[in-house]
Amino acid sequence: AAAAKMAALSGSGAPWRRGWLPALQFVRRGSKAVTRHWKAMHFQRQKLMAVTEYLAPRPAVPPRCLPPRKETLEEDNGYVRLLRRQVEEVFRDNRMIAICQYNSMPGEDMVMLRHYLRKHNIEVKFVLNEIVRPVLSQSKYKNLLPLFVARNILLVSREAKAKEMLRVLKGVPQINLLGACIHDTILSRQGVENFAKLPSLEAAQGQTVGALALLPSQTSSLLQRGSAHLTALLDQHIRRLQAGETGSPAEPAPAQSSGAH
Amino acid sequence: KKMASKIKVVLRPVKSIVVRFCPFESNVESTRKFLGCINHKKVQATNRNCEVTADVRHDGSEPLVDVMFADGERLIMKGANLTTIEMLTALGSRCNAKELKEEQKSKKKSP
Repeated sequence: AAAAKMAALSGSGAPWRRGWLPALQFVRRGSKAVTRHWKAMHFQRQKLMAVTEYLAPRPAVPPRCLPPRKETLEEDNGYVRLLRRQVEEVFRDNRMIAICQYNSMPGEDMVMLRHYLRKHNIEVKFVLNEIVRPVLSQSKYKNLLPLFVARNILLVSREAKAKEMLRVLKGVPQINLLGACIHDTILSRQGVENFAKLPSLEAAQGQTVGALALLPSQTSSLLQRGSAHLTALLDQHIRRLQAGETGSPAEPAPAQSSGAH
Repeated sequence: KKMASKIKVVLRPVKSIVVRFCPFESNVESTRKFLGCINHKKVQATNRNCEVTADVRHDGSEPLVDVMFADGERLIMKGANLTTIEMLTALGSRCNAKELKEEQKSKKKSP
């Protein structure tokens, strides 16, 4: 049909323009321009489409080969700064800080745990690792850094009540004690258990005093042994004289023996 | 690419799990995350009788996961060089295999 059209145009030498009038229909029968089935494009349209296809821009060097881009540091969020300040305060104020691993616990258990710990003046704090890590790396607690992986909670308190804390934690299987920092000393789990078994401060002080006083008391008893023995002998002598001779003065006898020595 | 918490493990054929690690070491991250995923509500709900114990030590030993199955089999995973997802998928595949075996056995018994 297209060939017939071209023949019709170019034939008869009439002064017509080159090209064709798009209003003239090419096809005798069948489909219109817009069809429900897929219709083949006109060849010239096909050529145009092929020429104007989209070519994605490709970088000359694949991005893997370039040196890695240095990621710009994120600005310090005000919220992040606040949380950091809170963590620093926690580490400064409290004398006992225990770090535990937190596996998900039902809500009521959590409330009961908080309640029991509150009775012993122990607070439960949830911490985010990305906040705690920079704070710790700048402070003196560098050895606590490897502990802060996966979900953790901190149990902080002003007094060091390790026994009660261990008792409460034994009843909760989903919280595992990893380590603690008591009076600026880093302890592992065994360390905390040993610390809990220690006697109280007064008892420890009494024990130390007793141990220290043992040697001097031994020395003093050794030194006094001679004169104590002498007095005991003299007393015995007096009694024997008094018992043996009734009425005879017992004073000159001990005076003589003490004078002789 | 898969999130560790999305892996579903059916703990029915498992009797007990013991997770041992030393938190001051640097290779315990995957083991700790494994412990956290196992203690999730949904995983615990599949088997209430399974006891999960965490053994925290300080002797420099490597992280270990010891799984005791109900038919006496034992699975030991040394988590020092494993990722969480690998450990979870290993455990999950073994549990599924045992489940299938038990189903087949019960089907054979009751025709």
